[in-house]
Amino acid sequence: MSTTSRTTRRGLLAAGLLSLSAIVGGASADDTAPPTPADAGRRLYSSHCSRCHGPNMVTPGTVAYDLRRFPEDQKPRFVLSVLGGRGAMPAWNGILDAEAIDALWAYVLTRGR
Amino acid sequence: MNPSRPLPALLPAALAACLFAAPAVHAQTAAELAADQDTPGDVLTSGMGYGQQRFSPLRQIDTRTVSRLVPVWNMSTNNMLGDEAQPLVHEGVMYYTTGKSTYAINALTGRMLWKHELDYGPDIGRAALSGQVNRGPALLDGRLFRTTLDAHVIALDAKTGKELWKSKSADYTKGYSMSVAPLVANGILITGIGCGEHGGRGYLEGWDPATGRQLWRRYTVPAPGEAGSETWPATDAWTRGGGPAWLTGSYDPALDLVYWGVGNASPWNAQDRKGDNLYTASVLAMRPKTGELVWHYQFTPNDTFDYDGNNELVHADVTVDGKRRKVLMQANRNGYLYVLDRANGALLAANAFTKTTWADRIDLVTGRPVESAALKRMRETGEQITVAPSAFGGKNWNPMSFSPNTGLLYANVLDNEWDYKPAKQPYEAGAPFIAMEAKWRFDPKAGGTLKALDPVTGKAKWQHPWTIANFSGTLATAGDVVFTGTMEGEFLAFNAKNGEKLWSFQTGSGIVSQPITWEHGGRQYVTVASGIGTVYLYFAGDERLATIPPGGSLWTFALTP
Repeated sequence: MSTTSRTTRRGLLAAGLLSLSAIVGGASADDTAPPTPADAGRRLYSSHCSRCHGPNMVTPGTVAYDLRRFPEDQKPRFVLSVLGGRGAMPAWNGILDAEAIDALWAYVLTRGR
Repeated sequence: MNPSRPLPALLPAALAACLFAAPAVHAQTAAELAADQDTPGDVLTSGMGYGQQRFSPLRQIDTRTVSRLVPVWNMSTNNMLGDEAQPLVHEGVMYYTTGKSTYAINALTGRMLWKHELDYGPDIGRAALSGQVNRGPALLDGRLFRTTLDAHVIALDAKTGKELWKSKSADYTKGYSMSVAPLVANGILITGIGCGEHGGRGYLEGWDPATGRQLWRRYTVPAPGEAGSETWPATDAWTRGGGPAWLTGSYDPALDLVYWGVGNASPWNAQDRKGDNLYTASVLAMRPKTGELVWHYQFTPNDTFDYDGNNELVHADVTVDGKRRKVLMQANRNGYLYVLDRANGALLAANAFTKTTWADRIDLVTGRPVESAALKRMRETGEQITVAPSAFGGKNWNPMSFSPNTGLLYANVLDNEWDYKPAKQPYEAGAPFIAMEAKWRFDPKAGGTLKALDPVTGKAKWQHPWTIANFSGTLATAGDVVFTGTMEGEFLAFNAKNGEKLWSFQTGSGIVSQPITWEHGGRQYVTVASGIGTVYLYFAGDERLATIPPGGSLWTFALTP
């Protein structure tokens, strides 16, 4: 992780960005284009997940899991974690249904880009 | 308590203590709670005194001797989720809480005497969105009180840790949660609820400390027909209007008034709740026995940026316009430092202590903010604006201290702004409810500043810059030392008069807590919890914190002989 962190920092400075910035919040925007599952997942992620896993999945990854490195071939593990909770992560069973979790999985696969 | 207050003001409380104190052990009484700031052998209240100055008259550790400060003991708190509590100390025993644990510790050796563990369901984190933390216990008559993440209040036998009573405050599956350190005022145990990001309706409650019976509940959002309801639209918006009360209030025994900050209106986006939305983003002055509202002041009418009004309320005697006043001070998340007359709520001063662009100024005559052109435009059109501060605030929950020696407030100030756009979001019980889209903007080279603030002007007499935003409380002493920590885990001492860095020690994790100092057997001790957490760690996306390991522990320091 420390290597990743240093790389990211260099990247920020090299790009000359003045701000440590990232998208937060949660809402359904009034988009005109038909939303993809990843779009729906992004909105759900913003309202339900970003508070712990970070805006756009950008996180130090110490307490909260860094979803950008969730193995792509382990969707069942993802579904189990979301429904039942894991460590400090709460169980979302009863709030997020199968369709919502599919959308979140589609978003996780984008790696936040 | 202010040291200059004449002693007779304490007598009614002392008398009450004699009548009602449990006689079995030497238990801390109401009179001892009221005298907390002036009796540094104990730390009995959140804020190190009812006036929450976090100032100690101890002076063994001073600007000269602090270089000899070394660790005496360290104890793991078995906690990965942020250590934010202020410990209490009574007769050589330290009491400390995390989200799930309560500990009694031999304050001199660091050895645990007893522990009490809470058990939560796997869905508990949904309610505790801002962190599964606790901010500390309260003490009265041999009982130790704390709140729980699943919205209960419990009392433990301070000697054994045995549970004496447990009272339910709310249904946590609807997004209600508690992290607050309770306040004991005039014999009543007072707590507030957290619910601001779930479309809850906030309140404060009074409990019988002996039995856990609920004595009163004061909602912070009025129902239709009640005073203040005219500041809400004629819809059901009030039923999910927010107004959480998640930080401990202060108390003036002479006036018998409890002061409690009330948080954000809900959802953050204000488009569907036109009006001032009392009593959100306000301070309430209440009678502890009944919860009766005596006066209120609203910091941010129709709050749309989650500015809150929860931050700690610090008492002091301050000269404003040549007149000595008994005041209440709050460094609000909205970036203004407010000074109010605590007898009647009159606004005496309100100056920006960090960059603020949501308002041009606070009008001292009307007491209302003069909103900036940018905010007015956003309210009118719904367009995105960039505004300072962000919801992280000009200062977050981590408490400031006040030194009567220097007349200055010591606060970790945040320097940040955000792009903010209102959005639509349907309400769903138990789910987060904020209805906006935003982008944080922290300067990666200067996220915050430790400032020594003049309360009346809001200007810094000295300041010390931080690279990463700082969420540690501060502690001031008569030795003219200011203690604070950093996200990267350093525990530091500064000269209160000029900001010179005097001493530092690297702890095992980031510090996001509330340091205290106390005395035993003629030796001064300083205790601080280390254990990174806070909404900044989780929600800011600051990857530099990848090298700061989580995991809580308590550190106690003293001077080498």
